[in-house]
Amino acid sequence: MRRTARISVAALAVTTLALTACGRGDDTATEDATAAAVDTSELSGNVTVWAMGTEGEALGEFAEAFTEENPDVTIDVTAVPWDAAHDKIATAIAADEVPDVSMIGTTWMGEFATSGGLDPTPPDLIDESTFFPGAWGSTEVGGTSYAVPWYVETRVLYVDTALAEQAGVSPTPATWDDLLATSKGMQTAGAQWGISLQAGQTGAWQTFLPFAWQAGAEIMNSDQTEFTFDSPEFVKALTFYQSFFNEGVAPKELPEGTLEPDFVAGKIGAFQSGPWHIGILDETGGEGFVDTVTLAPLPADEKQASFIGGSNLAVFKSAENRDAAWAFVQWLSEPEVQADWYAQTSDLPAVQSAWESGDLASDERLAVFGEQMTTAQAPPAIPTWEQIANVIDTELEKVCKTGMDPQEAATAIQQQAESIGTGL
Amino acid sequence: MSATLTSGKGVRPPGTADTAAPRVRRSSPLRRRRSIAAWGMAAPFMVLFLVFTAWPVLSSLFMSVTDIKSRDLQNPFAVDFVGLENFSTVLSDPLFQKAAFNTLYFVVVGVPLTILVALAIALALNTGITKLSGFFRVGYYMPVVTSIVAVAVVWRFLLQPENGLINEVLGWFGIQGPDWLGSTTWAMPSLIMMSVWRSLGTLVVIFLAGLQSVPKALHEASALDGANAWQRLRNITLPTLRPTMLFAGVITGIGFLQFFEEPFVMTQGGPLNSTLSVAYLIYNTFGFGNYGVAAAMSYVLFAAVVLLTVINFKVLGERDDAAGPRRRWFRRAGGAS
Repeated sequence: MRRTARISVAALAVTTLALTACGRGDDTATEDATAAAVDTSELSGNVTVWAMGTEGEALGEFAEAFTEENPDVTIDVTAVPWDAAHDKIATAIAADEVPDVSMIGTTWMGEFATSGGLDPTPPDLIDESTFFPGAWGSTEVGGTSYAVPWYVETRVLYVDTALAEQAGVSPTPATWDDLLATSKGMQTAGAQWGISLQAGQTGAWQTFLPFAWQAGAEIMNSDQTEFTFDSPEFVKALTFYQSFFNEGVAPKELPEGTLEPDFVAGKIGAFQSGPWHIGILDETGGEGFVDTVTLAPLPADEKQASFIGGSNLAVFKSAENRDAAWAFVQWLSEPEVQADWYAQTSDLPAVQSAWESGDLASDERLAVFGEQMTTAQAPPAIPTWEQIANVIDTELEKVCKTGMDPQEAATAIQQQAESIGTGL
Repeated sequence: MSATLTSGKGVRPPGTADTAAPRVRRSSPLRRRRSIAAWGMAAPFMVLFLVFTAWPVLSSLFMSVTDIKSRDLQNPFAVDFVGLENFSTVLSDPLFQKAAFNTLYFVVVGVPLTILVALAIALALNTGITKLSGFFRVGYYMPVVTSIVAVAVVWRFLLQPENGLINEVLGWFGIQGPDWLGSTTWAMPSLIMMSVWRSLGTLVVIFLAGLQSVPKALHEASALDGANAWQRLRNITLPTLRPTMLFAGVITGIGFLQFFEEPFVMTQGGPLNSTLSVAYLIYNTFGFGNYGVAAAMSYVLFAAVVLLTVINFKVLGERDDAAGPRRRWFRRAGGAS
């Protein structure tokens, strides 16, 4: 009995100590955001790099060109599967056992930057103006850049050319009204659905936000302190998006994996997606099918806009070989290197001048992406973004499927976003 | 006696000798050596248990009363103590309430359904079907050992609204089947159907084992007394199966309360969150980096698991007061003849 009593007293004491010991300090990670200069004159040692997916497989060999220029440096690439990447990086930061460089998905930037694990980008080494503004925006958290854009992707409109011709409508709608007319026209010309737009569920926000931006809505105010979902522009975009479902032009339910076969079969007139769909359509419809498809920039309302995605390269604060790490990142963002990287992996360059030569300049389809990129926008890089995106997905689904009032939905998104907070 | 035993180490002040007597005996060299050996034997387990079970449980408890988020990863102790605030956030969150309702729906319909179907199959295999019984056993157990991911793909095909097998078959009878996974009304029943099918196999095996303990003599005697098959099932088989039923109820209940894989691979919690379960919400909340709130949710779910298990024991458990109720049950059976 006495023993147990003594143990419980000890446990209580330890718990109290632990509880009194905790408590937030006043300094937040984003405050000391001054980047130290990088000395690239004498590089040596080993640089460990984590990269996901195809990039992880291709980067090791690709980096040999860098080590030829800098014989004292070795680049050690670890391929990380996408599924495990987020947790692996989070754990690495928590344990302070980080690589020197890692590829970071654009929507993770807010979270990792505020955890204090990433090194601010040294402005003397990396020139912000060479990148697409949307891509650079995805690296900035609370006004400081914590990474360098590596490759980008953006969304354009895929239209069935034959259907549009048959219906006598333009396959490259320039305005919202044109888009509605094109979709409706193709539906009357025989398509089951004029256009496919994602009606909620994971990732639907990526299809919807371009409409909001086109209407002139912004997600946050300029200094990233408050959300502005409750704006007339945002409601206008929701109303327009909803009209496709109310009028039966877009399907409320599209079973997974049916978009491509239905589009190939002429059942769906158009959809909005990224560059990867060129390959998927060729696979589904047979070699050369893509030639029967028109790629068009997204229509404009108040202005042109699209969604920008892709990946960034970040150097960790506790990187053992910081100078060489930044030098390697800088090398990867040189225009010629970016063009070579495109040739190797089909990753679209984040550096604007890389688009001026070779395939990237001559290919018509790629040109559409290149053009769209200049107006593409990134969601705010705040740590809570994934959670807020989930809220948008849920409310958007209600708007599309149950006919919820767009104003009500905007208010609901705003309220929930405010209660979630920016996390900065 | 105590003097000889304490001779090795420090001499106690005489006054304390009396009260300390039992302690002295406890720390005799032999006992001490034995207890060291015992601790040594237990050490591998103790270390694993403390590091991989007790520590995570304690730290999640700690997380649930602080405002820890993903940005605190580097110094997890620099967080604020918020008491039970996370729990009140969780309980007043409409999304959590929705998820709790969905989970309850799933458990209340799914658990009894699974047990009933499994029992029926086990009885059929045990008595009726003698030929091909091995084939059926394998057939019913197969879903348990199949990967949920592969199963999900097949079920999605089956449940497709336009050319899925289920709606095709319904079409033969002139029934226009719904868009199973796309409808807020039918998505949950579809998942329940799939989960019942998936967890059936284990219960069938357990019930088959339980059925071996039903005394044949009783069946024969009551048959002689004129009891029909239903009466024998109600009054002999079911009471004997009671402990097996309890076990089945507890493991199925715990499994079903932690309902996660099915919505994760089939519906992502949709449409309109109609298949979002508590476990799925916890997964999402951890994913969003709200470790404190997610840990609090986990403890709420844990409390629900305990509660359900207690209910199971109360309803199906063996009564302590001798074999009273059970005997009465038998007697009543006798009276019925």
